[in-house]
Amino acid sequence: MAVAKTQADWELLARRSRRDRRIKQGLLIAFLTLVTIPVVVPFFWIFVISISARTGGVESEVLWRACAILVPTVFAYGAAHTVFRRARQRIYAAVILVLLAVVGLAFSVGDDLHLYNYRFMVNPNLVEELRGAATAGGQFPWVWVAFVNSLFVAATSMALKVTVATLAGYYLSRFAFRGRSQFLQGLLILEVFHPWMLTIPIFLVIFWIGLLNTLAGPILVLTAIDLPFFIFIMKGFFDAVPWDIEMSAMTDGASRRQAFRMVVLPQVRGGIIAIAVLGFIKGWEEYVFVTALRTGNSYWVMSTYLYYVAEDVMGVDYGVVAAVSVIYIIPSLLLYLFCQKFLTQLTLGGVKG
Amino acid sequence: MRSSTFRTGTNMLVFLGPASFFLVCLLLAPIFVDLVVAFTDMAQTIRINEFTTKQFSKLVRASEDAWLGFELRSSFYRALSLSAVYIFFTLAIFNLTFGLILALTTTALPDWLGGVYRAIWLLPRMSPSVVYALMWIWVVDPTERGLLNQVIGVLGFSPINMKLDAPIVLIVTANGFIGASIGMLILTSSIRSIPEHLFFAARADGAGSLSIVRHIVLPALRWPLSYITVFQFLALLVSFEYIFLIMGPARSTMTMAMLAYTKTLAPDIGAGQYAYGAAITLILIVIGVFVALVLYRLANMTRLLMSPRIEVQ
Amino acid sequence: MANVELRNLTKVWDQVTAVDGINLEIRDGEFLAVLGPSGCGKSTTLFMLAGVYLPSGGDILFDGARVNDVEARSRNVGIVFQSYALYPNMNVLQNIMFPLRFQETRDAAAQAREMAELVQVGELLERRPSQLSGGQQQRVALARALVKQPNLLLLDEPLSNLDATLRLTMRAEIRRITRELAVTTILVTHDQLEATTMADRVVCMNVGRIEQTGTAEDLYLRPDTLFVAGFIGSPPINLIRLQASQRAVLDVPDTAETVGIRPELLHSAETGLPVTVTTVEPMGRETLVTADSDLGPLRFLEATSRPKWSAGDKLHVSFRSQDTIVFDGAGQRMSDLHAAIG
Repeated sequence: MAVAKTQADWELLARRSRRDRRIKQGLLIAFLTLVTIPVVVPFFWIFVISISARTGGVESEVLWRACAILVPTVFAYGAAHTVFRRARQRIYAAVILVLLAVVGLAFSVGDDLHLYNYRFMVNPNLVEELRGAATAGGQFPWVWVAFVNSLFVAATSMALKVTVATLAGYYLSRFAFRGRSQFLQGLLILEVFHPWMLTIPIFLVIFWIGLLNTLAGPILVLTAIDLPFFIFIMKGFFDAVPWDIEMSAMTDGASRRQAFRMVVLPQVRGGIIAIAVLGFIKGWEEYVFVTALRTGNSYWVMSTYLYYVAEDVMGVDYGVVAAVSVIYIIPSLLLYLFCQKFLTQLTLGGVKG
Repeated sequence: MRSSTFRTGTNMLVFLGPASFFLVCLLLAPIFVDLVVAFTDMAQTIRINEFTTKQFSKLVRASEDAWLGFELRSSFYRALSLSAVYIFFTLAIFNLTFGLILALTTTALPDWLGGVYRAIWLLPRMSPSVVYALMWIWVVDPTERGLLNQVIGVLGFSPINMKLDAPIVLIVTANGFIGASIGMLILTSSIRSIPEHLFFAARADGAGSLSIVRHIVLPALRWPLSYITVFQFLALLVSFEYIFLIMGPARSTMTMAMLAYTKTLAPDIGAGQYAYGAAITLILIVIGVFVALVLYRLANMTRLLMSPRIEVQ
Repeated sequence: MANVELRNLTKVWDQVTAVDGINLEIRDGEFLAVLGPSGCGKSTTLFMLAGVYLPSGGDILFDGARVNDVEARSRNVGIVFQSYALYPNMNVLQNIMFPLRFQETRDAAAQAREMAELVQVGELLERRPSQLSGGQQQRVALARALVKQPNLLLLDEPLSNLDATLRLTMRAEIRRITRELAVTTILVTHDQLEATTMADRVVCMNVGRIEQTGTAEDLYLRPDTLFVAGFIGSPPINLIRLQASQRAVLDVPDTAETVGIRPELLHSAETGLPVTVTTVEPMGRETLVTADSDLGPLRFLEATSRPKWSAGDKLHVSFRSQDTIVFDGAGQRMSDLHAAIG
């Protein structure tokens, strides 16, 4: 039987609830911070090396000094965020803390910072100068050649993926045709064959159609391997567009294709942006297929450039290697940060068969 | 009538044609190419001189005593067991367990804060593989300058050389950080899709956080968890990118996929033994399809077909 | 089992105020309905009572003690959701037993069975929620909310997902069960019929504020505000905005802005206000007639299933002065003032 509670009982319960809530939240934050540190520190380390290392080994002294300033700042902001309830107060706290951190960093590590490691960006013949023309440095390109090639591979394969997957996704979502369910099942089965599994036979196919050692090889392959997944995503987005929209467009006199172009396509903008971002990042970072589909050094992209910078050419000059890494990672990172909204939408959009 | 069938035909060609072209030429055809090449003697010259099963005899040899009538040659046996260890630990510790922990803890926090942690965890996944691998190589640098050795130095341990002494731990962790974020994404969206009212009802019914996880959240995650198991198993089975980039062609981490890659296409060291690589690939395909079928059956395939919550991958 | 009091209760989401300082007292054992259009803050209030939302301001008191910070699970409140929110992975018996897991109960299964009998789902104990009809799910949800003998039972639009006949049965059923258990109950609904037939007292809410509290009769015949007058009653009340032309016809106080008259209190007569019929809608036992007049369009009910009039007919309507309700410029009722045909 429920016994009527007294005033004191309720107050005890309220106190206990408040305490439990605080402890729970505190433990969660402490746990997540602890496990997240190993993820974030190495990235920060690479960045610090790129702007502080002189020729020689890996330096981490600057990293620790920077952390000694930044970690307290983050904790101070966390405290300020819990204490202050108003948005304006929080912004003030953030601004003050950032200023303090900048001043602190200037004092503790300011003297060690320089951009000398980034000289590879303006000096096309850096390796040649350092190692002499006879060595591997002789055939090593300027970083912008690799950068533009990577950009070209990523952008072209992205455009192909988006176009092909959107068309197919729409057709599978809206048209009834013989073999539709077989086609969908086939797609699912193809997804089981992870593209890395097929590296060798894909190499043979590309060799036989004569695209080995051209950028067209990786572009076509990158397009193909993401297709099953992307088609399912787009089909999911098209499935979510109500039929009525299309029908009313068609009763208003549009043809099926016009209805697709003018009415349905704008509705799946989120999905298109999401697969475009994913497709671009994949093309930008690709390593396996760009190395597998060339013999020798017929073309350079950022991944092979960085690989050889780190392995062969500049192996001991950690500062330059880190600087190349930073330049390489920036486009992916920016794209990811700005389009995160669309990527999370993707996880909610889901895929229905 | 004729114009309508014509239109149907052209529609199919316009909308489905390009996709079919790519899928057939670059995914379907290679599967059959592999099937054929595995039974040839194709090597560096990429020419087929004869059809043979000798590639498989490099992997297994006939034996009277063995249970199935053949036994595995030692290098292949080693690759097989390395693959098993690597896949099992990565999947069990990171993709499933840690992914689940991350999803549960970040969804228990206020939305913006959980989002910050999730965004950080996606960093390894969004950064180029060569950069990520380079980062690991530097972190586990065997000298005192490696980040790991600096940290354990502070704790009073002497420097360790993970690449030599704990290669499996290294590749499991490096792959696991990425795997955990995939698990986290899929499970987070599954938790989000549980109706809010169920949580409210459970709280009003007297359930605490742990009971809610046990009785409300976990039952709803059965399908996403089996989905992660199936698809991440397959991905790990054939993955070699990070292993190769971090460890190079080291024998200590020569899994099956690595074996196929280093014997054929790996830059500088690939030996061009295409038929041999194709034979290993064929075994991977068979294992993959077999495991996928078993897991599909266990996890009720139709349900997986209906709602595979496929996320960023 | 508990007296519940809300003092100046407020809930703000980001910038939007969902509940704006409401004061309310619910007596032990009372059945109270909170009635209002969607988005008026009634469900938010309910969730604050349950403890799943934290109030932004004000107090919730159980038996005089402030419980704002007490977690939902310690409040001993039962709740039935519009979606029923049955746990899909448990069968009916497990669902009903779920709240008892967290209490020291000796014979949980027996109590759950007893409750299942009370709501008449005793034969369905092994079924999963997905195998139940809407009405059955509703009963199970009710049993789950009641099995722990809650201080307070909260019903969030419990009938809105049921079809019309089932709604009628469940209305009586819920009333019977809550009376039998003498549990303090708060029903949230947008359906005035549900509120007025089930509750001892009705609270009418609009945009986060309480417009009026009272019996069903109070709200219908003596609405405090223009909003309550317009929201309650079907077909809706005639509301006449008073402009110069209307004031010429009607004899009303100068400070009045609006006059209301219920359609069933207007009737055709030999003398009175001349009107022209525009539409005639048979509604079963009654007929709704809409007609143009000098006061604007007027609706009135004729107690006949066979319409006497058709569009274009000219006739007179009249009403008793004490049946009219007069509102001032702020939309408040001016008590004891009435309008008459002048």
